[in-house]
Amino acid sequence: MEDLALLGFGPDGWGKVLVQAGLMTLAVSVAAFVVGLALGTLIAWGRVSGGGMARALAHGYTAVMRGVPEILVIYLFYFGGRQVVTAVGTALGFPGPFDISGFMAGMLAIGLISGANQAEVLRGAWQAVPKGTIEAGRVVGMSRFTLFRRVIAPQALVTALPGLGNQWQSVIKESALVSVTGLVETMRQVSVAAGTTQEHFLFYAAGAAIYLAITTLSDQLFRLAERHSLRGHQQGGM
Amino acid sequence: MDLSFIGTMFLRILGGLPLTLNLWGLSLLGGAILALGLNLLRTTRVGDKVASAYVFVFRGTPLLIQIFMIYFGLAGFGFIRHSVLWPFLREPYWCGLLALVLNDAAYTSEILRGGLRAVPRGAVEAGRVSGMSRFTILRRITLPLAIRQALPAYSSEVISMLKATALVSTITLMDMTGIARAAISETWRAVEILLSAAAIYLALSLIVTQLSVWIERRLSPWQFQRTNR
Amino acid sequence: MTDTSKTVLSIAGLRKSFGANEVLRGIDLAASDGDVISMIGASGSGKSTLLRCIPMLEIPDAGTVGVGEDRVSPRGGRLTRAEEATVRRMRCQLGFVFQNFNLWPHRTVLENVIEAPLFVQGRARSEAVDEAMALLDKVGLAAKRDAYPAHLSGGQQQRVAIARALAQHPRAILFDEPTSALDPELVGEVLKVIRSLAEEGRTMLIVTHEMGFAREVSSRVVFLHQGHIEEDGTPAEVFGAPKSERARAFLASHFDRNRQG
Ligand SMILES: Nc1ncnc2c1ncn2[C@@H]1O[C@H](COP(=O)(O)OP(=O)(O)OP(=O)(O)O)[C@@H](O)[C@H]1O
Ligand SMILES: [Mg+2]
Repeated sequence: MEDLALLGFGPDGWGKVLVQAGLMTLAVSVAAFVVGLALGTLIAWGRVSGGGMARALAHGYTAVMRGVPEILVIYLFYFGGRQVVTAVGTALGFPGPFDISGFMAGMLAIGLISGANQAEVLRGAWQAVPKGTIEAGRVVGMSRFTLFRRVIAPQALVTALPGLGNQWQSVIKESALVSVTGLVETMRQVSVAAGTTQEHFLFYAAGAAIYLAITTLSDQLFRLAERHSLRGHQQGGM
Repeated sequence: MDLSFIGTMFLRILGGLPLTLNLWGLSLLGGAILALGLNLLRTTRVGDKVASAYVFVFRGTPLLIQIFMIYFGLAGFGFIRHSVLWPFLREPYWCGLLALVLNDAAYTSEILRGGLRAVPRGAVEAGRVSGMSRFTILRRITLPLAIRQALPAYSSEVISMLKATALVSTITLMDMTGIARAAISETWRAVEILLSAAAIYLALSLIVTQLSVWIERRLSPWQFQRTNR
Repeated sequence: MTDTSKTVLSIAGLRKSFGANEVLRGIDLAASDGDVISMIGASGSGKSTLLRCIPMLEIPDAGTVGVGEDRVSPRGGRLTRAEEATVRRMRCQLGFVFQNFNLWPHRTVLENVIEAPLFVQGRARSEAVDEAMALLDKVGLAAKRDAYPAHLSGGQQQRVAIARALAQHPRAILFDEPTSALDPELVGEVLKVIRSLAEEGRTMLIVTHEMGFAREVSSRVVFLHQGHIEEDGTPAEVFGAPKSERARAFLASHFDRNRQG
């Protein structure tokens, strides 16, 4: 099986660049997930405790992000981002050419999509916090912020963890779409390798294996976190 | 913004709507059938392992890589190039559709499984003690409850599949996204074109959302209507 | 009822409706230092609503609530910024014990008790812990300090909730049917704790269906009917010689039921 040498770390092997590409997949996914978590928290806050305007905005945003193909959003950030940067740059008198990196476009696009989905998860978890425990916080005189930080958030996070885990899995898979911007992550790298060597199946299978490894490993991590966050205290009632 | 340009682009992209709808509908149909099969497979021990492995692989990897693997990868095998399937598997349309079906089946089978598991044991036992046959229980109790339970998740899956069809544009198919991409490379006016395409997808997804709310109400009046007591 | 002692809690002209349902129709009630007031009345007569209006868990439509030197008279079903600050000061001087305990499930017994001292009152941790342990000892649960609420019986949870209320250094403690969610065999342990608080001279307002207990610990009994206070007197007066027909009927049915049960 000399084919397999192509995946190795020898002189003809693609092993090293594949590992690098896998790390790039992780990097862009983590960045996008964090953007999504921050945005998701904001939107969930808007939907749960905002006024009518904030609620409508949050609702509309979620509907749009759930209804538009991810790849269009990525194109929009990549091509559109370039258009915007160019317009702004030229107006400010900078010399061209202007560009927006694939990493930036991908991170923002996937982060914004994930934010809408994470918001749904967080909102559900927030609304599942037992009302009585919130009242117990109010009667001891907690401010809104303290109440959120000490009573609502810790309880909601436990409920939200499995859902956030699913969103993380989605983000990893969506990160493959960033390959259309030319960012050299796993998907892009295996395409290049497949084209160069004409070993299409081998390299796409290798790519699939990398994604499976990342999704499986992080699934285990989330399960661990879940078990830790429960710390046995909710086995009984609730 | 140039409204007449947007109008022209809108109409041009709509030209890809039939292909998008075609892939969407057929992949949901094929996916549902395969998903039912996967759940039947789960009744045996070996079948359960097979179904789990299938779901694991197809849910654990990006759809894009699945599409490429089928379109580019399968051609590398001599026995496939010489099989009766080759006339199909050399066509991007069939490769795209196959990838979409296989992918949808993995997600749908899990949704259906969740619905089946959520059927309360008591409801089934109540059917049994009132003398229903196994088939009657399946038809009158298990499936209606399971489908009702699975509906919200399935409506998300339906929308996901609409969005998934956009990926076939990467293997040269001229669906709405494919046309949009071509138009961008001709005109370089990405924002207007992409927003036009996005609006069409959004409209379709909103229709699905409304429809699913309506169906949900129809299927489970006990959760939405006040009974007169 | 001693006029010379200080008024801790005062309610005047309190009204509250839920939609068309007028639940409180002008309530006046004051508690002086050391009063133990039991509030009785039929289900739906508005007892919980009245109690929840004191820390503004429900915001009344009209009327005034005062705790210590602070008082608010909210209008229009919402609190202004200034009123919110006052309400938080009032809450810090009250203890509230819920029917369903409402312990924070993600915190241990000890953490439940020190939560407000640390994060609301900003007290030092070591001091808060020492005090919390003394309170837990008092309710007989010092050994459970590191347990989570889900691992406690209902009676134990309610005793933790009482310790949590005491950690407020409350000028008055409000109880909303503290034993109604408990299995009969667990009621006694909670009543015992409340009785000991009465003996210490704590100011308390207790909504309860335990008539025997009310008669025994209270300095005053209030009978609520359809949003009005219909009787207000010593246990002997209210239980022994109720003035209103409704109170008589309520008490008769209640003691009957108790006897049958
Ligand atoms: N949040 C609410 N929204 C609407 N109606 C309410 C609300 N809370 C209470 N009510 C209504 O107010 C009335 C009085 O309720 P409340 O809980 O104060 O009675 P209660 O005297 O405590 O009764 P119980 O002995 O059963 O606890 C009831 O008719 C109840 O339905
Ligand atoms: Mg009540």
